[in-house]
Amino acid sequence: MISVRGVRKAFGSATVLDGIDLDVHSGEVVSILGSSGSGKSTLIRCMNGLEKLDGGRITIDDFDVSRPKELSEARKRSATVFQLFNLYPHMTAVQNIALAPVEVLKIPRKQAEADARTLLDSVGLSARADAFPAQLSGGQRQRVGICRALAMKPRYLLLDEITSALDPEMTSDVLAILAKLAHDGTTMVFVTHEIEFARTISSRIVFLDKGQLVVDLPTAEFFAADGGMAKPRIAQFLSKMRKD
Amino acid sequence: MRYTAFTSYDIILLAQGLSVSLALFLATTIIGLFIGSLWAVIRFYRIPVLAQVVAVIAEVLKNSPVLVQLFLVFFGLPAFAKINVTPVEAAVITLSGNTAAFVYVIAVSAIESIGRDQIEAARVFGLSRWQVLRRIIAPQAMAFAIGPLTGLLVNQLQVTSLISVIGVVDLTKIGNILNLRTLKPFIVWAVVGGLYYVMAKLVAFGGAKLEKRLRAHTAWKGL
Ligand SMILES: Nc1ncnc2c1ncn2[C@@H]1O[C@H](COP(=O)(O)OP(=O)(O)O)[C@@H](O)[C@H]1O
Ligand SMILES: [Mg+2]
Repeated sequence: MISVRGVRKAFGSATVLDGIDLDVHSGEVVSILGSSGSGKSTLIRCMNGLEKLDGGRITIDDFDVSRPKELSEARKRSATVFQLFNLYPHMTAVQNIALAPVEVLKIPRKQAEADARTLLDSVGLSARADAFPAQLSGGQRQRVGICRALAMKPRYLLLDEITSALDPEMTSDVLAILAKLAHDGTTMVFVTHEIEFARTISSRIVFLDKGQLVVDLPTAEFFAADGGMAKPRIAQFLSKMRKD
Repeated sequence: MRYTAFTSYDIILLAQGLSVSLALFLATTIIGLFIGSLWAVIRFYRIPVLAQVVAVIAEVLKNSPVLVQLFLVFFGLPAFAKINVTPVEAAVITLSGNTAAFVYVIAVSAIESIGRDQIEAARVFGLSRWQVLRRIIAPQAMAFAIGPLTGLLVNQLQVTSLISVIGVVDLTKIGNILNLRTLKPFIVWAVVGGLYYVMAKLVAFGGAKLEKRLRAHTAWKGL
């Protein structure tokens, strides 16, 4: 399980995360909603050890991400898909996916590349396996990004607005993959603005506002007429999102 | 009466000078590439103290004449530190240091051209700093740097001619010797210059070939 306890993070004098508590259990899909600048990305970056915490504690299967010795174990258990893909531009799709399995999990290269091709096949990209990122469309790049994460066989997938740089058609390709992963029981922390989609795949919805988790509810309760979405701040957010 | 005609032995002399120049160029290039890249890595990881020291050394080396550095090493070191250096040693030390300083500058900007987000991604996927350096940074930095490096090396090849003044018998020194004997400066220096030209062209050609290879597998746009 991912356990976030009293996490605080500030950049200079600006407090970006202000005492976050969040548990993500195996098999859950937890969607994080919140307006731009509310600290969603920072929370993900704290979970994968890219930001140093100013307070509190994050553990992944009891490995504390703030302890250098435990961070590598924590990182083996989780994998991140990034908003802007962050692929390695000098490597083909297959090489992008196989890099960490080879270097970190010590899987033989041949095996890792064969696995990478299987993954690419499963997202409909087998024909582009040997293309470089610059030769792929945004949607294709993000599918490679997802394969790169899945290749690590992570227990937890961290997804930070992975469709917000994509046009609607590409978005639906990528969301279809997530729907399947959710259906297969993959544990996910899913930062998104795709509210309707979040509703279909999430076990829980949390709402982040100015660095605080103001709502953490099972999906049905969140969307109930008198549930989380009835709160003025969230109602306002949702109506704005639906208009976009 | 002095013997001013060219002899076939002069070709051997020229070949000797050429190989001395070439050997010094290759040795100082290898040493300079190694040290300069090491300095750049030290800077990239912001290793305390060392990073500052390296920046100062590079700054001094690239902003002072190579000839002055050469005199400092060859005449200055024995006088100051009582270390005796042969002309070849002084040449290797000076040229390596000079090449390193410029390699450092090129390597730093090459490394800075690499997007930080992919480095973060690699770290998140569990790669160590060393693995990131080897698999992410080095290949891309090399593809980026190979052009400027080729230009640098063509220039450093010409710079080797300076070492003749402290008595290293390189191609320029041989030119000098032949010139004094034959009193045919136009022919001698044209031949010597031509040999430098051919070497420079070979370096440029090799660099261009390598660049093509390094970039062929990086079909990325915009660079
Ligand atoms: N590295 C940083 N340095 C300074 N401020 C940052 C940094 N990263 C994020 N911030 C600030 O923290 C706040 C939250 O950012 P972020 O977590 O990216 O929000 P979200 O992902 O919800 O849009 C924003 O005000 C942003 O400007
Ligand atoms: Mg964000």
